[in-house]
Amino acid sequence: MRLRLRNIFLVYFVVSLVGLFCALRELGEDPFHPPDLFKAPPIPPMPPPDPFHPLYSPPDSFHPPRPPPDPFQPPQPHFSPPRPVQKAELVRLSQTLLHVPALHWVVVEDAAAPSALVGGVLAASGVSFTHLSAETPPDLRGRPGDPSWLFPRGAEQRNRALRWLRDTRGRDEPGVVYFADDDNTYSLRLFEEMRSTRGVSVWPVGLVGGLRLERPLVSQGRVVGFHTGWRPERPFPLDMAGFAVGLRLLLAHPRARFDPRAERGFLESSFLGGLVTPAQLEPRADNCTQVLVWHTRTEKPKLRQEEQLQRQGRGSDPNIEV
Amino acid sequence: MLRRRNLLTTLLIALPWALLLTLWHQYPTTHYLNLLRSKCKSSREGGFPSCTRQQQSIGAVPKIIQNYVYSRPPPWSDTLPTIFVITPTYTRPVQKAELTRLANTFLHVQNLHWVVVEDSPRRTNLVSNLLEKAGLNFTHLNVETPKSLKLGLSWIPSHTPRGTLQRNLGLHWLRDSFSNTAPPEGVVYFADDDNTYSLELFEEMRYTRRVSVWPVAFVGGLRYESPKVNPAGKVVGWKTVFDPNRPFAIDMAGFAVSIKLILEKPHASFKLEGVKGGYQETSLLKDLVTMDGLEPKAANCTKVLVWHTRTERPTLVNEGKRGFTDPRVEV
Repeated sequence: MRLRLRNIFLVYFVVSLVGLFCALRELGEDPFHPPDLFKAPPIPPMPPPDPFHPLYSPPDSFHPPRPPPDPFQPPQPHFSPPRPVQKAELVRLSQTLLHVPALHWVVVEDAAAPSALVGGVLAASGVSFTHLSAETPPDLRGRPGDPSWLFPRGAEQRNRALRWLRDTRGRDEPGVVYFADDDNTYSLRLFEEMRSTRGVSVWPVGLVGGLRLERPLVSQGRVVGFHTGWRPERPFPLDMAGFAVGLRLLLAHPRARFDPRAERGFLESSFLGGLVTPAQLEPRADNCTQVLVWHTRTEKPKLRQEEQLQRQGRGSDPNIEV
Repeated sequence: MLRRRNLLTTLLIALPWALLLTLWHQYPTTHYLNLLRSKCKSSREGGFPSCTRQQQSIGAVPKIIQNYVYSRPPPWSDTLPTIFVITPTYTRPVQKAELTRLANTFLHVQNLHWVVVEDSPRRTNLVSNLLEKAGLNFTHLNVETPKSLKLGLSWIPSHTPRGTLQRNLGLHWLRDSFSNTAPPEGVVYFADDDNTYSLELFEEMRYTRRVSVWPVAFVGGLRYESPKVNPAGKVVGWKTVFDPNRPFAIDMAGFAVSIKLILEKPHASFKLEGVKGGYQETSLLKDLVTMDGLEPKAANCTKVLVWHTRTERPTLVNEGKRGFTDPRVEV
């Protein structure tokens, strides 16, 4: 009997020691260390390069970002037929931008003239804005059935924004330019990270390029390569949301622009190539280890019943703006 | 005799450890430590169990936690009714992005309390950290949907009620936190994490007396669905194509219920079993109100202030079998 009790006590002490040890380890654990890891779903062997999913997919509209202290965001192109979720995307984006101090939102619609819908959202948002328009030439615009990656979208509109910047900003004006698509998701910290940009700063982008994240590789504070799963031979394998340009640098290169005829995935490179070399990129977001922007895409809403009703002439009230 | 004594002793020794382990399992370490660490500004609203800010750690290993304080919600008002927003969420690649942009929206709304309920066996670090850094008043809960329910009780997957257990837990928390005898002024709104909400919507719902309703965009295959309002300002039907004869043909994002009503009817909750597609909202509302008791908002239901947007599932084709990117980086 005695022996049994002693054994029990022994077991008890060992267990309590182990428990204490674990508790101490957990106490000392970094609270930001994620225990639940995303596991890639089991998928069949990768198809040959050139996935159906576009590497970057500029939506119908986009907003040029703003430079701090007076950041600018490019205008938002507006395709016809109008995209149903446009107003929702703009409302949601404006709610994020409204938090950022010293931000100016430049929206360029892909249309002959700025529309009332977009104008109304911008005016009601409370964000400081400029509303422009620039129409994509018909030969560079995809037809309704074409996949979104066939032509690089938003090039003309971003160039229009660049022209606006060159027309209205002084050569020595401090600021940063960021190109923000309206369906992406931006954390507030991102804008503070980019504010100190002198040349071109870069950071990781989540959920893009068929990966959880794409990011520049940083060693000793300098960009030495890029972690990407698609066409890494590109000069700048970045997404549009993954970099910002200092205003002074931009204005010092009056010919830097986006090439509307650039090959798929090379739009960013066509612009950045005229400004910096990869070695000159400034890493942000903790040496490019944190994801502060996500390349989310919004589903096209299913409007089958709406289309049916409209064929019968009983569609919803068009005066009610959606 | 001796044996019984040994047994008793063993039991007495094991009992405290069993209790400790149970507690440890229920409250993840970080949450517990944060309760220790944070200096609650709970004087704002008495009785809220969670804290909004993270202060310097006083744990075993001192840590300097950098708070990027960009925005704070408008100061809490003692006279304004509180909006309790219940958001069910589940782990998936876009979760952090969705919650981030939702937080950016809610940071503009005064007197908003966000109840986030995870569909998970434990509260995840991802959501905990996000909520703490956001700066909002929040409550973080979790309940896992059992697999059998997840697959649905009908063979049509789309009829599986998602988020039901989580929403019910949110209601349960409200009923636990507030008493029916002294109900606070406030309203409950069920907000999915992928929808889009205008700021005006929250002001419309704030002064709900019982149940208020408004149009929702991009549901039911239409540009928007909305209640039918007669010239006298009463709801008389539903402008929908999909089953307009439902008692409440409205989307989850299209109504809000006053706290008082939730507390008055403690048995009203979302039904889990035997709920046909599109009837989930009815399963709750039928126990709370009748159609003539509904209050139409948004200019007699002529303005669209909420959009049922859905986020595409990202195709992570290039991750491969073993994962291409560093799994330690949180996305």
